[in-house]
Formats: sequence, C-alpha cells, structure tokens
Amino acid sequence: MINLDSKKDIRILAYESSCDETSTAVVKNGREIESMIVATQIKSHQRFGGVVPEVASRHHLEVITQITRKALEQANVTWNEIDAIAVTYGPGLVGALLIGVSAAKAASMATGIPLIGVDHIMGHIMAAQLTAEIAYPALALQVSGGHTEIVLLKDPTHFEIVGDTRDDAAGEAYDKIGRVLGVNYPAGKTIDEWAHRGNDTFHFPRAMMEDDDYDFSFSGLKSAFINTCHHADQIHQELNKYDLAASFQAAVVDVLAHKTIRALKQYQPKTFIMGGGVAANRGLRDRMEHEITLLPENIKPKVILPDLKLCGDNAAMIGAAAYNLYQDGKFADLTLNADPSLELPYADSMLNE
Amino acid sequence: MKILSISTATNQLSVALNEDQRVITEKNERDERNHSEHLDPLFQEILTENKLTLKEIDRFAVAIGPGSYTGLRIGVTTVKMFASILHKELVGVSTLQALAAGALSDQDLVIAGIDARNDNYFAGAYLDQQEQAPICVIDDGHYHIDTLLAAIKKYYEDHPVKELVFVGSGFEKQQKLLEQLEIPYRFGTQKQNEIHAGLIGQLALQEKPVDADELLPKYLRRTQAEADWHQKTGKPFGSDRDYVEEV
Ligand SMILES: [Zn+2]
Repeated sequence: MINLDSKKDIRILAYESSCDETSTAVVKNGREIESMIVATQIKSHQRFGGVVPEVASRHHLEVITQITRKALEQANVTWNEIDAIAVTYGPGLVGALLIGVSAAKAASMATGIPLIGVDHIMGHIMAAQLTAEIAYPALALQVSGGHTEIVLLKDPTHFEIVGDTRDDAAGEAYDKIGRVLGVNYPAGKTIDEWAHRGNDTFHFPRAMMEDDDYDFSFSGLKSAFINTCHHADQIHQELNKYDLAASFQAAVVDVLAHKTIRALKQYQPKTFIMGGGVAANRGLRDRMEHEITLLPENIKPKVILPDLKLCGDNAAMIGAAAYNLYQDGKFADLTLNADPSLELPYADSMLNE
Repeated sequence: MKILSISTATNQLSVALNEDQRVITEKNERDERNHSEHLDPLFQEILTENKLTLKEIDRFAVAIGPGSYTGLRIGVTTVKMFASILHKELVGVSTLQALAAGALSDQDLVIAGIDARNDNYFAGAYLDQQEQAPICVIDDGHYHIDTLLAAIKKYYEDHPVKELVFVGSGFEKQQKLLEQLEIPYRFGTQKQNEIHAGLIGQLALQEKPVDADELLPKYLRRTQAEADWHQKTGKPFGSDRDYVEEV
C-alpha cells in the first residue's frame, strides 16, 4: 500500500537507455542521488562519426544486469527497500529505449515493485530537482541533441511546451558544424572551449530572434556556417577556428537567451531551469545567469542550472521525475512500450498558430 | 524442474511452461511489432493459470538467435533480468536448433532457416540424435542461398540422408534452386515452420546454465556500420565490451 501521509522515504531505482548511455540510479525522495552508474558508448560511436542505433542497442544489453546490481550495491540497498522502478520510455531510439523498458518491466515483474514510465525530456528538466528545490510555476530551457524547447512547468508533473525548434535542435547544429571543423562527435564541449578563445567576427544570422513567438530555427545558421567554410576552402583561405566557433556559439546563445528572457518576462515563473546536454555549455550558462540578473527584481526567478554531470543522459534525472509521478499515483503496467516520438503536450498558444 | 521459456526471435511470440520434458502450457501469438507490449502480460497469464509465481520457476530459457535483432533483445533482456534478480538458472538456445527440433525424423537432414532478405538466410542444418538434442552439422550462420545449398550438397555427398526438410521462413521461393540439387526434399508443415517455446524448454533441460551477465543474443551478423568501418580502416572489430566505459 502506498501511504502518501507517511514520512517514509521513497526510493526509486531508475533506468535510462534512450540513446548512447546506459544508466541506472537510486534516488531518494526525488532529491538525493544514492547511486548513479553511467556506461557510455561514445568510444564505439566515434568510429562512425555519430550514434548508430543498432550498435547502441547491442551495447545497452551488454551491461544492463551488471549496472542494475551496481546501482543497488553503491546505494547500499536491496530490492526490499525500493519503492518504484522507473524507466525512460521515450523519446529516443526505439531499439535503445526497448532495453531499458524490457529490463525495468522484468525487474518489476520479478520483484512486484510498481513501475513508472518517464518522459526523457521531463527527466532532463527534473535534473534541476537534484540540485535545488523548484518553486512552481517554473520555466525551463531544454537544449540537447534532439530538442530545443521552452517548457512551462505548472506543477511537478504538468509540463507544456511554449516554444520549440522548427528544424534542427541546437545540439544537432553543434554536432554538424563540429564535423565541418573536424571535431570528433560529440562536438559540443570542444566548440564551447574554442568559442572562449575566439571572437564573434563572422556575425552569422540570428534566425527568428525578433519574431514574437518562442520558437527557434538553427538550420539557417548551420547553412551559413557551412557556406562560409566552403567558400574559404575554394579560395584557399584559412579561417580562424576559434573565431568560427565563437561566432557560431554567439549566434546560438543570442537566440536562446533572447527568446528565453522574453518568455520569462511573459510567464514570470518562480524558478528558471536549464536542462539537457547543451545546458552544460559554459557560454550559455554564463549568458543566461547574467541576463537574469538584469531582470527587474519583482520578476527575477530563482535560477537552477543542474550540475554538469547531470546535464547529459543519466538515470538519476529519471528517478527525480519519477518521484513526482509516484506522488501523483501515475504508474505504468506490464504493457508499457517504448515510444520513440513521445512528446510533452504543447501549450494552447502553440496549437492555435 | 520448472522451466519458463520464450521466443521473441520472429514475428511469432511464444511462451511455454515445462515440467522437465513435459510441456505444461505453450502460448503463441502472432504480433508483428509488439513483443514488448505482449511478452510480460503473456508470462503473467501463464503463471496465473498455473498458480505459480516467477520465484517458483527453476530455469529460464530463451531463443538467443538468430532472428529479429530487436525481438531477440526484448526476450534476452527480460530473462537475463529474471535470472539475475531471482538468482535462477538461465539457458540460451539456438533459434535454429529449436526450429529443427520440431521437424526431426530419423535419416532426414533438417535445414532450419529464417529469411534475411535478398536471398540471404540465417540458417543451420541439424540431424536427429534420438534421446538427445539435435546435432548441428552445418553451423548456424548468415548465408546466401547459393552458399547454403552448396554446403548442403557437400554434406549430402559424404553422408547418406534420406530427405532434406526445409523449415522456417522463405524457403518456398527457392523451389527452383532446390530442384537443381537433385536431392529429395520437402518443406516443413505450418506448425513446424513456427518456433515453439515448449521445444526451447525441452532443449534447455539438456544445456548447462550460463551466467545472466554473460548471456547475449547470437546476431550472427555485424552491423553495416561496423562492417564499413572495418573495411575502411582495416582495424579489427575488437571486443564489444571495450567500447563501453563507465564514467
Ligand atoms: Zn537526452
């Protein structure tokens, strides 16, 4: 029996396998990481210059039982002390998601512990809950390889997308221009470092920046970048890679910051959160923090930037989000399936466009 | 000994409960894409009907391949977790051996295969061994039909078998080539062409259990990306485990 009035600690064992990281974690009360194991496959996919789904799925399966045991061992708990088993069921690569989903369901069946399916994006945003307490309503800028979204959090389980990318995600653009610069996948960290050593000399376009919605577009920026490099190639001109990186990053950060600040002014949330792999980007973190200090005192939100190790894919963030679903009584059953194109709901303002 | 066995290797989902050699229940379901949704509820159904819990199962058995990569992983992940958490025995059985086991008869050579498109097959050939598990005489592999038939012909020249029996999927369309072999042959019946978890359970009874951490599908084929990379760089494939690091 689940007794919501009791003061008993709630422990969740969580799984994440949506892309190229296999992760398990034990999270206490949605806030405290008791263990977190991340097995990364980056070395494997670097051979191919990007994630190969079939290879990713094979690697997930190779480690799944071991990292389940490790998460329990490191947290120093047994199955008896676990209150729920949580798993990312989408969005992501279907074959990769299915390893986590199959494993979590089997674990739930074998132990009788209830199951919770978690949206990967909700998980990324809830990494913030592992860093500090979120006051609601909150607004999140969620930036990763597959997503660039502004999300309104009405309460811990009701999220709405108020702004979205029309084409490429920001992280995807980083990887693509990284390839042009000869940077190994994943390129974000290196581009960020280079950007700090150069200047914005190329003035790439800032798409849709002045539009009065909260949507993004990065394909124009990507094309402008690639054209600049190709043109220089043709006339045998060497471009400064640090300035290229700085100019690209300035364009991305400008648009993200500009639109997010406008959304903060409109929605006036109590907390601002950043989530996703690109939330580890120093340029973006510094810029957002700075811009928020400039907001009028009465609408200045609390800012939560998750720890760098929680920006990438990990199971702890899934355990954090699952705790909120647990409190809401939102459980899954044994028919839970992977949903590769799972999406948070869109706000009415976006559906009326 | 209670054995719970499954196959998710093809578009047929099969689950069975055996008591030693005896098949107590076998449930089969055709579902093209939904093994993930149907597998655990089917387990639950069998357990409920037999008034059992997973804890009372002594050994788990699974078709480890070849077959649909995604399908194999769903089945293998599930039983690995069961065995690992409940500290029970675990056995992987060749999908092709299980197919062959359903069509064995004295003096016939059973060729079990799964259509892998473009005239390619995951296939192997098996002989009856009376009381024991069928013996493999052409290794499970990924073969072009010409290569497979050449291997069968060679085997036939050295060993007197009465008839060839083709079971599994996709052999009917090769009738013309099969005629050219000039060896008596027949196709399996519909029942023989499907994988039965009950047979997997019986085969698993004779196998030595393996460590749940170690059990992995037998894909019998590298991914295209790996093959291309290997060809381009000349580097060895290396152990899959070396590519995954804990951070
Ligand atoms: Zn992610």
